Amino acid sequence: MKKLLKRIYMALIVVLLYAPILTLVVLSFNSSKSRAKWGGFTTKWYASLFDSQEIMGALYTTLIISLLAALLATVIGTLGALGMQHMRSKTRSAFMGVTNIPMLNSEIVMGVSLMLLFIMGRVSLGFGTILIAHITFNIPYVILSVMPKLKQTSRYTYEAALDLGATPFYAFRKTILPDIMPGIFSGFLLAFTMSLDDFVVTYFTKGPGVDTLSTKIYSEVRKGIKPEIYALSTLMFLTVLILLMLINLTPSKIDEKELIKDAKFLEKYGRKRLFTKRIVMGRLLPGMLVLVLTIGGVYYGSGGSFTEDKTVVVYNWGEYIDPEVLEMFEEETGIHVIYEEFETNEIMYPKIKAGAVSYDVVCPSDYMIRKMIDNDLLQPINFDHIPNISNIGKQYMETSEQFDPGNQYSIPYCWGTVGILYNKTMVDEPITSWKILWESKYKDNILMQDSVRDAFMVGLKYQGYSLNSTNIQELQEAEQLLENQKPLVQAYVVDQVRDKMIGNEAALGVIYSGEAIYTQKENPDLEYVVPDEGSNVWIDSWVIPKDAKHVKNAELFLNFLCRPDIALMNFDYITYSTPNEAARELIEDPEIRNSQIAFPDESILERCETYSYLGPEAEEIYSQLWNQVKGS
Amino acid sequence: MKDKLIDLVNISKSYDGVTILDEMNLYIRENEFLTLLGPSGCGKTTTLRIMGGFENPDHGRVFFNGNDITDLPPNKRQLNTVFQKYALFPHMSIAENIAFGLKIKGKTQAYINDKIKYALKLVNLDGYENRYPGILSGGQQQRIAIARAIVNEPKVLLLDEPLGALDLKLRQSMQYELMRLKEELGITFVYVTHDQEEALTMSDTIVVMNQGYIQQIGTPESIYNEPQNAFVADFIGDSNIIDAIMIRDKQVKILGVPFDCVDVGFGSNKPVDVVIRPEDVELVKPKNGQITGRVTSLIFKGVHYEMDVEANGYSWLVHSTRAAQVGAEVGLYVEPENIQIMKKPESEDEEATAVEE
Repeated sequence: MKKLLKRIYMALIVVLLYAPILTLVVLSFNSSKSRAKWGGFTTKWYASLFDSQEIMGALYTTLIISLLAALLATVIGTLGALGMQHMRSKTRSAFMGVTNIPMLNSEIVMGVSLMLLFIMGRVSLGFGTILIAHITFNIPYVILSVMPKLKQTSRYTYEAALDLGATPFYAFRKTILPDIMPGIFSGFLLAFTMSLDDFVVTYFTKGPGVDTLSTKIYSEVRKGIKPEIYALSTLMFLTVLILLMLINLTPSKIDEKELIKDAKFLEKYGRKRLFTKRIVMGRLLPGMLVLVLTIGGVYYGSGGSFTEDKTVVVYNWGEYIDPEVLEMFEEETGIHVIYEEFETNEIMYPKIKAGAVSYDVVCPSDYMIRKMIDNDLLQPINFDHIPNISNIGKQYMETSEQFDPGNQYSIPYCWGTVGILYNKTMVDEPITSWKILWESKYKDNILMQDSVRDAFMVGLKYQGYSLNSTNIQELQEAEQLLENQKPLVQAYVVDQVRDKMIGNEAALGVIYSGEAIYTQKENPDLEYVVPDEGSNVWIDSWVIPKDAKHVKNAELFLNFLCRPDIALMNFDYITYSTPNEAARELIEDPEIRNSQIAFPDESILERCETYSYLGPEAEEIYSQLWNQVKGS
Repeated sequence: MKDKLIDLVNISKSYDGVTILDEMNLYIRENEFLTLLGPSGCGKTTTLRIMGGFENPDHGRVFFNGNDITDLPPNKRQLNTVFQKYALFPHMSIAENIAFGLKIKGKTQAYINDKIKYALKLVNLDGYENRYPGILSGGQQQRIAIARAIVNEPKVLLLDEPLGALDLKLRQSMQYELMRLKEELGITFVYVTHDQEEALTMSDTIVVMNQGYIQQIGTPESIYNEPQNAFVADFIGDSNIIDAIMIRDKQVKILGVPFDCVDVGFGSNKPVDVVIRPEDVELVKPKNGQITGRVTSLIFKGVHYEMDVEANGYSWLVHSTRAAQVGAEVGLYVEPENIQIMKKPESEDEEATAVEE
């Protein structure tokens, strides 16, 4: 009975530990894309995984970084352990403590501090910084596995070798090295595994265009989980599992018994067999595994070699360009595009400001461009090199002057308004005012934007104030309004407004016009309106940061984006309004070309304002008031 | 000067503020079997390691054949060491172990093979070439370690308690083996041990050390028979060390009883220590004894009996081939030449430093 209970307990632990991973493995063979139903066994996700150039590129980077980091950390760590072995015991334990800190330290602290160090040292983030960071966190693992072996080695065999005329290095190679080799080797494997696995530190120390598998998975998952990711995660889990098993297989200590066993074995079968037993099984095999993985990765990943001056580093919103456009640009110009995405202006800004990565073109929003100009982070664009600027409509250049006086720094890329998206089957009255968002009959059917400026814009405009108001009284009024509205609001969300409205989950939602066009395609019951009190008009524009390294390429890229056919491709892909008048002419569908949502007439635009950068004090007041709303 | 093969001059060494050796001077003659003897922590191993080059002295110089080798690394010295823990290379066969030094010197394979055969014969382990250290017994391993050292034809072989890990029987046979080797090879041995019997058996010269100071240097006989202080007397063999008063030359009062002796020059009515070896105390009839007492214990030791005799308030240790029963009254008699007089040290420090050669 007791035995049975013990077994059940054990089984429970194993199930709890491995159930999530098992789920992942099962899903990776599920031919249905849905997580909820089983569509039959398939290996197609694995096949498409190996077809993906991006993922294979990330695999290649991961393997190269893991291998190099593990090798270098093994050398440094072993030397470190040797040095520490010869310290006095007090100093040694102090040093051991210090080397253990990176292991115990929270990974995120380590990642952030390494990033800060690189930024301070003006080292540009990229492959090299990831490598250095990995070496840093790998070293303690190597020391930890070499140290115990070193403690077991006899000082006397080393001295005996010296005594017999060996130079210190030869003596080390012949006596200490063979003894600590298993430790060095398992340290190497451990380091390799840790590197393979790492996400947090890599995330903070990586630069644009460099992705390891884990950061790649992360950025993919952000866009929605694809079954290929299950396959990839399954493979990563298996690799790490096998490596860890091999590490545990290598004998952990040399003792008398083992020496005798070895000696007997040697006498019976000779050197060759012991070599086979120990070296081949214990060392060569895992070594080969690492090698095969690396070569495989190199084979799959060796697509993208390019020279440094033939690149352009692009920093853009997620899903904010047609990937085909990038390919066409690369084909036409031979310039390689290193492409990185950000989620909000506020994430993008500190990265540019820190200067850790020199981006060549960035696509911030209006108020952020003003802030960047004020902080001297941008360089004026030489429009002589961008003849296609003439395709951009005059009115957009004029609106841009609100944040970029004189149109020196920015080229409008996408623009739109903020308005109310409503479901015609649920709302039958005509909407002319923000007031409808305070109608109690729509309780729990209203979706608000979860962002300070957009929320306060609604409150301020409803009252007829400027959406850039810094008047404390006006702001407090808006705050009170939002607080009153809160019980009616179903949720404060960002991207889900789109999905929820398509799914008929709410009647009214504050939304960007670009999203509105897309939702109408999916659900014809939806309609978009800009209230009469006016609203926000926003423009996302391309800028060139001050420390851009490839200004010529950046200009070529921007000129390319302003080409009518390219702008049209992007419009079709992003569905946000394009300021490119020539592109608009090319739109075939007259309904879209003349859509009031995509291209509202000037009367609507005249009622709208762009956000402007309010300065830190006002920002503080906004965020305090916003917290009051959220906390009420 | 020529016969000083190794000369240690004013050697001092300390670890973490603890003095191990203090201003030590010692030389070793060519072809001598010299033993450094003392309790653990006396500095004997450090002395050996300084000769071998594994430790650098804080002060002082080491000369070899008249050349200063103080700063020479161990691999450049014409000395070879046999370590206490054998220190064989476990990953190499016996032949490879022995060939290690020769290969470094770039000898031909034929020469090396000859040497291996010769050395194995010398240590009575012919045919062990292809074995591995792991399965050899302690004694065999130690002999391989010696073979590995001597194939290099060193001028001096340094041996650091080489028999310390062996059992008594094996130790004794290895002692004879080492003496035989020394005769056959004709090289200088510097031997470190804490075992006084081993030292007395094997050495030409014994250096008794304590707390970093040399206590006495001499032949085994002189060390045993004429210990120069209580430490040496106590450390070498069993002794009766008794407080006494030198009445005048050739007469000493022990436990209130005047004894004749042969020593002169200690002044008159001066407190001294006397050393009397237990086998020098003769058991006689009470009326014939210089002093009488009662037997309090009796142990059979094989070649002799060991007895404690309570006489005049001191418990005398007596070795004799004749036994006296516990409780029996006996007389004790000591020949004048068997009474060794030693000056009393005036302080602890002096106790350690008292002796110069």
